[in-house]
Amino acid sequence: MAKHLVTLTVNGDTYDLVVSDNQTLLDVIRDEVNLKGTKRGCTTGSCGVCCINNAKGEAVLSCLTHALEWDGEEITTIEGLEADGELDAMQKAFIEYGAVQCGFCTPGVIMSARAIVNAHPEPTEEQINAGLAGVNCRCTGQIKVKEAIREDHRFRHKRETGSGTQD
Amino acid sequence: MGCLHLLPSRGVFIAMLLPDHSYVKAKSLEECLKTLRETGEKAKVVAGGTDVIFNMRLKLFQPEVAVSIRGLKDLQQVDELDDGSVRIGAACRLADLIDHPLAGGRYPAFKQSLEAVASTHIRNMGTLGGNICLETRCWYTNNSDQWREGLQGCYKTDSELCHVIKSSSKCHAINNSDSPPALIALGAMLTLQKEGATREVPIAEFYRADGVNFSVLEPGELVTHVTIPPVSDRQVFIKITPRKGMDFSLGAVAARCDGQGEQISNITIVLGSLVTAPVVLDKPAQVVLEAGLTDDAIEKAADLVRDELGEVSNLYGRSIYKRQIAIVLVKRALVQLREL
Amino acid sequence: MARKTEIGTPDRSRRRPKFDGELGSREKIDLDVIGKRQPRLDGPEKVSGRSVFADDVQLPGMLCGKILRSRYAHARILGIDTSRAEALPGVKAVITATDAGEIDVNGREPVFASDVVTYIGEEIAAVAALDELTAEKALDLIEIEYEELPAVMSMRRALKEGAPLVDGKTEGNVWSDDIDNYGEVEPAFEAADYIFEEKYEAGVTHNLFAEFHVAVVDFSLPDKLTLYTPTQTSYLMQHALAPAFGLTLSQVQIIHLNTGGAFSGRGSVRPHHYIAILLSRETRRPVKIFATGDEEFLVCRALGENKYKMRMAMKKDGTITAFDMEAEMDGGAVGTEVGYFGWMAGLCNSWVFPLEGLRMRRRCVLTNNRPNFLGHGGLMLSTNAAIMQLINTVAKKIDRDPMDIMYQNAIEEGHTGLSGEWFASCGLRECIETVRKASDWDNRYGKLEPYHGLGIGIGSMAAGAKGAFRHDTSAVMVRVSEDGIVTVYTGIPDMGQGTHTTMAVIVAEVLGIDPNDMKVVAGDTDLTPIDVGAFAQRGTIQTGNAARNAALDAREQLTVYAAGKLEVDKDDLVFRGGKVYAQSAPDKLMNFKDLVYKTLHGKEGRSVMGRGFYNSPLQFGTTSWSFGAQIAEVKVDPDTGEVQVLKVWVAHDLGRAINPLACEGQIDGQVYSAMSQILYEEVQTDAGLYLNPSRLEYKVPRSYEMPEIDYYLIETIDPFGPFGAKEIGEGIIVVSGGAIAAAVSDALGGEFIGEMPMAPWRVLKHIKRAQRQEAAGRTAA
Repeated sequence: MAKHLVTLTVNGDTYDLVVSDNQTLLDVIRDEVNLKGTKRGCTTGSCGVCCINNAKGEAVLSCLTHALEWDGEEITTIEGLEADGELDAMQKAFIEYGAVQCGFCTPGVIMSARAIVNAHPEPTEEQINAGLAGVNCRCTGQIKVKEAIREDHRFRHKRETGSGTQD
Repeated sequence: MGCLHLLPSRGVFIAMLLPDHSYVKAKSLEECLKTLRETGEKAKVVAGGTDVIFNMRLKLFQPEVAVSIRGLKDLQQVDELDDGSVRIGAACRLADLIDHPLAGGRYPAFKQSLEAVASTHIRNMGTLGGNICLETRCWYTNNSDQWREGLQGCYKTDSELCHVIKSSSKCHAINNSDSPPALIALGAMLTLQKEGATREVPIAEFYRADGVNFSVLEPGELVTHVTIPPVSDRQVFIKITPRKGMDFSLGAVAARCDGQGEQISNITIVLGSLVTAPVVLDKPAQVVLEAGLTDDAIEKAADLVRDELGEVSNLYGRSIYKRQIAIVLVKRALVQLREL
Repeated sequence: MARKTEIGTPDRSRRRPKFDGELGSREKIDLDVIGKRQPRLDGPEKVSGRSVFADDVQLPGMLCGKILRSRYAHARILGIDTSRAEALPGVKAVITATDAGEIDVNGREPVFASDVVTYIGEEIAAVAALDELTAEKALDLIEIEYEELPAVMSMRRALKEGAPLVDGKTEGNVWSDDIDNYGEVEPAFEAADYIFEEKYEAGVTHNLFAEFHVAVVDFSLPDKLTLYTPTQTSYLMQHALAPAFGLTLSQVQIIHLNTGGAFSGRGSVRPHHYIAILLSRETRRPVKIFATGDEEFLVCRALGENKYKMRMAMKKDGTITAFDMEAEMDGGAVGTEVGYFGWMAGLCNSWVFPLEGLRMRRRCVLTNNRPNFLGHGGLMLSTNAAIMQLINTVAKKIDRDPMDIMYQNAIEEGHTGLSGEWFASCGLRECIETVRKASDWDNRYGKLEPYHGLGIGIGSMAAGAKGAFRHDTSAVMVRVSEDGIVTVYTGIPDMGQGTHTTMAVIVAEVLGIDPNDMKVVAGDTDLTPIDVGAFAQRGTIQTGNAARNAALDAREQLTVYAAGKLEVDKDDLVFRGGKVYAQSAPDKLMNFKDLVYKTLHGKEGRSVMGRGFYNSPLQFGTTSWSFGAQIAEVKVDPDTGEVQVLKVWVAHDLGRAINPLACEGQIDGQVYSAMSQILYEEVQTDAGLYLNPSRLEYKVPRSYEMPEIDYYLIETIDPFGPFGAKEIGEGIIVVSGGAIAAAVSDALGGEFIGEMPMAPWRVLKHIKRAQRQEAAGRTAA
């Protein structure tokens, strides 16, 4: 199998990688870039644990796409959400609202949640449900995940203005 | 019993790595068509990857070459033509078409069908061409190769047998795609290109009643565009699924008509996801065309669905149940059309 | 020969703990930390991708292991040829039954099939190779010669006369046949005014945890075995693996890191653990085995087909007096103690109703299916769904409100159950009253629109199950560091339920500090004290009591300096809000951190390490039970049979809510899982083949389907639980199942639906039948 030189920007860092034809983006994130937050689950697009964000901030599944397809592109994984040594508003909301239990699907769920608010800063119930339908979580039934997504903008507001409007 | 087997034990369930193949990213449509001609049946076109990689993991697809068309900008355009039709590139992502003013914005049934596809994640990757060419599905085949070895092969895997309907002379895998019924109801045309030849085929004639060779697409040929004529807003798409998000349908219907109120002058009703190809319902359409969309006519039309559907397999649901929901779908579609 | 047992009413004294207090006093204790919504302490790691799961472990020189599984449900292996696989470059080992020798899985199943395979997916051989593709190719090169044998793929076939014997020796394929006879069953039925009978069937399931089965093993040195794997119990794994590989317990290190959900599916060792160990021993390199999508469904040991027959005796006034139940449980190809859970499933009826008699016959039947064991909620979910549905439908028949029947029959504090259980705290009636009011039941039940339904379920769950395992021990250590940070060492796994944070909260309460000033060390048997594990709802009560005892021990060590410094009696000291002060003179105070520093650096050089231990004072069973009542509201689409759960009201007597945030999370997940199993989950089979072994086709509901939930945490302050806490582990799910099943039945006019899951096609079948009957009735009239 042929190998190719690929340039991939992950969380703002640019990597030159040698990638084979049959590697998926998931394989490359986990095994070549060595970021393990993006999880390996069903690898057939049904469970959502491998979800990352593309350059537009949309949720995509890294298990269902050739890594070579992403030459020259930018992606964000769960490790890329923190800024200035601080967790992202969505990550904080997930902790505060108890939206995390076993935590295995959590990276995929948070990247899906981020994509929801990237597209709709104050999402409707329909938008939240649509954005979460691609991930499977038996621990939480998604109830507290939805609460965290609804509250995310308040955490964001708090960070931007320094004032608390968190209740 | 005592039948003896000496068999190698290929495969290891769902492959975590994709099987060996080479990947080619087409830089132009010409280059793509040339590669497809050269590689013929050894090639698979990859756009979003959501169906192709899925099937490669199951080793249902073992292409020698995967040809990516994600870089072809020509196939990602949406244009309005002089006659008011809309021409959509086959490599447009489903997510981008939902709110596009010329696509989902103009054709409500098309929009509803796109929104019904799987999940946001899949729609952010999958393309319209991929949805139209979605491999037919069967729960005896859409499992890993190791799993399939528990059975004899079938029509899809080079044996003369169907596990769903044992006596059948053809494959009964179902067309489980959402956009085709809507596009058929809207009277869409497909542009199929291969090196040196282009043809236009009504999408209603694209599908064949055979789960293996389920379309008229020839080796080396690619669906490049979908053209939807200008039509009235009286159109609807409904899908019934075991769960609302991230699911293939148990049955879907699309319908479109002209005219006002109960009086209609033209109607197309299409059922999807029940058999190997979408089914255009002629007799029920005739009934409501003659009698109008009255309660009685709708009941009568729905009753005729059973006859037109033919043999419904029990793939992904009991056949008796799927017949019942087919009737419900048609009834609901006609009632909704009347309100529009 | 089937194992047969018959149990009569036991000696009740063995099951009653010593207790001198006053029942139902609900002693008020002023608490500072317990009862506050505490976000989980490992939250920051989990939300940032830092948490390490077994699949994330990369060890130097690690190989990829793959398992070759049987494609036949029953066949003789005539020969295995691994020579071509061994010759493939990159292959480091190929192993089969010969390499496993005498080793078996838990004394029950072979690691590899040797001469006969008895189910699809049974392990036959395995390879370790440099990478995954090579391992795959090597499996392709192993040749196996089979002679197919007749297989029995259902209990119905297995029990037929002359059916082939699954294991070649168990007569009639009945692996165990146990009868429990408690109280006076026959007299109760003879004296009954009504006897109601129904049948109930539940299908094959999967636990569907997020993290797939995975094992990473380093056994490259002969006296040290390290296994990274998700589990509910590192303790039982150590006990199974150490003797199998000729090691002492301490030579086996289980690192369970984070465990990505368990749902009763990770309670023991499985063949893939042994296989990874054998491969590592053979190659003297670390090995990882990861189960892929469909393999998951064969590796798991979830529920098989279960069939129940039940009879209920009732008096005219609605008093429920006895149950007589029969269960047939598909144990699959390997006999398991699934019957034990059948016993619990029968017995749990007597935990909510003051019965005169209870009989339960449970037969575990062998078939050529996957060995079956447990799903989320176990067999109690399905039996409670059946019984609650039965009572709701029966109430309609005798023109009573099911709510009244439940209330009238509900047990109260101080009740002694048929097998001698003694319920020292019980808020069952309070739970029923709470959901009755909250849901406006009295104004709504029976008055909803057509195809809308309300159902009530009640239930109980034992917190801990001493006797199910040889020991039921939990120990906890509490270390106090120089900077005032307190570390809890515990061996209980946290599979998401939040136990580690719960332990920290308990310790923080005792030491009067902020839980955020605490650390939890867990998940590594080399570091943590003994703990049997996280199952049978034992975490909060067993490990929680141990944590409390450890914290008290640490506090005792700290009081020495404080009492001297403040010149007060040490029993007068209060630890609270980061301060230590005298109860009698609150101005005599010092900082907790100062106290710690001064204690550690005192002349005596006191190192503070609290040790706590807990083992139920009983010989058998448990001291504490949770109780709950729930009401579900559903809507059924009469055209398609689709069921939508609109809302669930949950009232749960959990003793005390240590961390209400985590309690709510437990409720969410269990209501979800109950809804999922009652309405959706089913492995579709055709002659033993699983047709839908995937996250896509094995249907579970997702974001859209989740109902609204109202939570009511009822605190009855159990005398034996830590600060009065009992459990909220699986107590919710069994009640939710009953409420949802009863609500669907109510929406269909009170018809009993004897199948689980209530998939749309089954529901529609009932609707159509009812419509036909109604039409026939009209014609006749």
